Amino acid sequence: MAHAEQAHVPLPVPAPFTGRQEIDLDVVRELLSHFHYSDFEEAQELILSALQEVNEHFGWVSPEAAELVAEHLGTTVNRVFGLLTFYADFRTAPRGHHHLLVCHGMSCYVLGSQQLVQELQDRYGIADGDTTPDEQLSVQVVNGCLGVCDRSPVVKLDDTYVGHVTPESLNDLLQRAIAGRAAAEAATRGETVG
Amino acid sequence: MVHVAPSEHLSRLTSKEDFQAFRQQAHDRWDQMWNGDKIVASVGVGSSSIAKGALEVLDRARQELGGEGIVREVSGNGAFWMEPWIEVKRPGEPPIVYGPIAPDVVSAVIAGRRQDLAVGVRGDEAFEGIQPLSAHPFFAQQKQILMRNSGVIEPDSIEDAIARGAYDGYFKVLFELSAEEAIAEVTTAQVRGRGGGGFPAGVKWESGRKARNFPKFVVCNSHEGEPNVYKDRHLHESDPHRILEGILIACIAVGAERGYNYVGGEYPLAIRRFRKAVADAERLGLIGKNILGTGKNVAFRVRTGGGAYICGEASALMYSVMGVRGQPRTKPPRSVEEGLWKRPTVANNTETLANIPDIIVNGGAWYASMGTENSKGTKLMTNQGPMNRLGVVEVEMGMTLNTLFDDIFGGMREGYTFKGVQTGGVSAGPLKPEHLDIPVDFDSLGDVGGMLGSGGWVIFDENVCVVDFARYLTAFNRYESCSKCVPCRLGNPALVEILDRIRFGRGTLDDLTLIKRTSKHIIELSLCGLGQVAPVPLMGMLEHYEEEFRKHVVDKVCPTGTCPMSVAASDLEPEHALAAD
Repeated sequence: MAHAEQAHVPLPVPAPFTGRQEIDLDVVRELLSHFHYSDFEEAQELILSALQEVNEHFGWVSPEAAELVAEHLGTTVNRVFGLLTFYADFRTAPRGHHHLLVCHGMSCYVLGSQQLVQELQDRYGIADGDTTPDEQLSVQVVNGCLGVCDRSPVVKLDDTYVGHVTPESLNDLLQRAIAGRAAAEAATRGETVG
Repeated sequence: MVHVAPSEHLSRLTSKEDFQAFRQQAHDRWDQMWNGDKIVASVGVGSSSIAKGALEVLDRARQELGGEGIVREVSGNGAFWMEPWIEVKRPGEPPIVYGPIAPDVVSAVIAGRRQDLAVGVRGDEAFEGIQPLSAHPFFAQQKQILMRNSGVIEPDSIEDAIARGAYDGYFKVLFELSAEEAIAEVTTAQVRGRGGGGFPAGVKWESGRKARNFPKFVVCNSHEGEPNVYKDRHLHESDPHRILEGILIACIAVGAERGYNYVGGEYPLAIRRFRKAVADAERLGLIGKNILGTGKNVAFRVRTGGGAYICGEASALMYSVMGVRGQPRTKPPRSVEEGLWKRPTVANNTETLANIPDIIVNGGAWYASMGTENSKGTKLMTNQGPMNRLGVVEVEMGMTLNTLFDDIFGGMREGYTFKGVQTGGVSAGPLKPEHLDIPVDFDSLGDVGGMLGSGGWVIFDENVCVVDFARYLTAFNRYESCSKCVPCRLGNPALVEILDRIRFGRGTLDDLTLIKRTSKHIIELSLCGLGQVAPVPLMGMLEHYEEEFRKHVVDKVCPTGTCPMSVAASDLEPEHALAAD
C-alpha cells in the first residue's frame, strides 16, 4: 500500500494522563437539570441529546445513568438502552485510560487504515468498541470520517490528532502514551520510574 | 454543548426599523474594522485546521497583537492544503493570506517579514507581487455563493454575518413577499435537492404549503454520515446563519410553526457554532413570537444525531428526532403529508436550504441562469485521495470532472496514477479515466453508473485493489444497515462474505454471478434508499473493472498485492479479517 512511501513525520507527544471516568450520578443529575420540556413530545426529542451529554462528559453511559435519563424524561430505561445500542456514538462500557479513534473513512482506508485496525487486533487484542483487559486503551473505529483527509490515515489519541500513521508508528505512539501515563502516576506518588 | 449562551450585548429587535438600524450598525462596524488603523489578523479555525494546529496559531496571534490589533477566529475557507492559515490586514494594505504556517512564525508573518509564505491577496488586485487569491488555480474557476463568507466572517458573530448580507432574504420574506411569491421564486430557480435525490425544492414547499393539517414543521437534514463528504460540516462551521436563514424562510413560506436542524453528532464544532447562531438569532428576536412585530411566530430546535448513517434518510431522520431508533418506513404517506409527529413536514438538505437566502434576494431567474438545462446553480464538492489539493469547493453545475480534478484539485500527487473515482459516497459506482469529460450535474453521471449525490469524490490510484475497495464499500453498508428489512440485513453480509472468499483466493467464476444475483435481490426488495443502492458501488466496480475481478477468481492473483491471498493465503482465516471493520 501507498503509505509506506510517505515521509517519516515526527509524532507529537500525547497527553500523559486522561483518567478513567467513573460516572458520578450527581453530575448526571446536574447535567439533566438543564433539560426542560413542555410536553411528552419534546421530552422524547430530548432523550438522544441527554444521552449525548452524558456520553460526552464521561465517555460512556452506565445503566444507572440511563435510568436517571429515563426518569427525568418520563420514559422507560428499556427505550433508553434501545437507543444506546442502536446509535454508534454511544458506549455502554467505560473507556480505557487512553481512548483511540481510528478513522476508517474512504481516504484513510485506501491509504491503509485497515492495517491499523489489524495491528490493534494482533498486538492488543482489541477490535472496535473494545478495551484492553488492563484498561489502558480503548478503541473506536470511526466508520464516518474524522475530517483530516489530507493526513490520511489519521488516528486521534485522546485529544491529539496524528496523521500519516503506519502500524509501526501507531504502536510507538501507544507505547509512549501508556508509558507516559505510568510515569505521571508514579510522579504523583513521589516515585521515579527507572 | 447543549446550552450555548448568546452574546450578551445583543438585545431584542421589535420592528422593521429596529432591524434596519441594527443592520446599518453592523455594516458600519464591518467597514470600520477593515478601514481602521489596527492590524486585523484572522485565523481559519475549522475541524480540519484544528487538527493541524490552528488553535495554537490563534493563541500566538492573540499574544502577539494583544490589545494592539484585532484577532478574529474565522472558519476554514475550504482549502485544506493551505491550513493552518492566517490572514493579516495591515493599515493601508489589502488583507493577505499566509499558509500553511507553524505557530512559531506567526509573529514574523504579522510583522510582514515572511511574504514568502503568502498564498494570495483577498481582493481583486495584486499587492507587492502577491497575486490575488482569486487568481489561484484552486479558486479561479470556483463560483462561490454558499461559500462567499467562508473564512471571511467570524461564524460566532451575527453582526459579521449581517454585515455580509445574512437575513436580507428573511427580511424580504417577512415584509415584502407573500408566502406564495417566495415559493414561486424557489420554483423558478429550479433548485433541486442537494442530498442526492435531486427532487425540486419548490415542488416540495408547494405541497407543504397546501397541506391542511397543523402544526407543520420544517426539518433541515444536516446529517452527512457518508465516509467522504464534509460539505455540510463546512457550511455549519463557516456560515451557520446562512443555513438558519434558509430554514426560517422555509418555515415562513410553508407556514410551519417550528424549524428543526438535525446535525450529525460527529461534528462537535459545527453543532456548537450552529447553536450559537440560533441563540444569537433568538436573542435578536429573529426566532420566537411576533418576529420583528409582524405577528409571525417560528420556534427553532437543534437536534443531534448519534452516528447512524441511516438517519440521513428522511423518514429515519424524523424517527431519530422523535427519540426512537432511526429506521425508515414505507411510503406513502410522504413526509409532507405525515412526517414529524404525524404532521406535514418539509425536509430539505442543508445545502438546498443554504441556497434559499440568495434566491430570495436575487430572484429565482438569477439562480436559474447558472448551471445546465436540468441542474441549476452551483454545487459544493469535496475530494479525497492522493491529489495535490484537498478541500471543499463550490463550482457551477456543468463543469467537467477533468477541470475539477486537474485545475482545481491540482491533479494527482507525484508518484500516484489515477485509476478511478468513487462517486456518490457509498451509493453509486466508480468512474474510469475515460469518463472524466462528462459534465457534473444531476443527470449526466447516471448514464455511466456514477452519481452526483452529495458531491464527494474519492480518487483512488493504481495501488488500490478494486475488490478490496468494493469490500470496504459493501462492509460500510453492512455496518450501517438499520436491520429493519431482511434483504439489506442479510444480503449485505452475504456480499461481504463472497468478497472475502475472493480476497482470500478461494473465489470462483460462479461467485461473480452470485454477486450479481444477490445484488439484484437487495436492490429490488429493500425498503429504503440505503438498501436499494447498497450493492450499487460493488456492481459498478464489477462492471468497470471486471478484468481485475476475474484475475482474482481465475488466476488467484491480486494485481496490486493488497488482498490477503497475496500475503500468505494459508496463514490467514477469513474470520480473522472479519473481526476488524
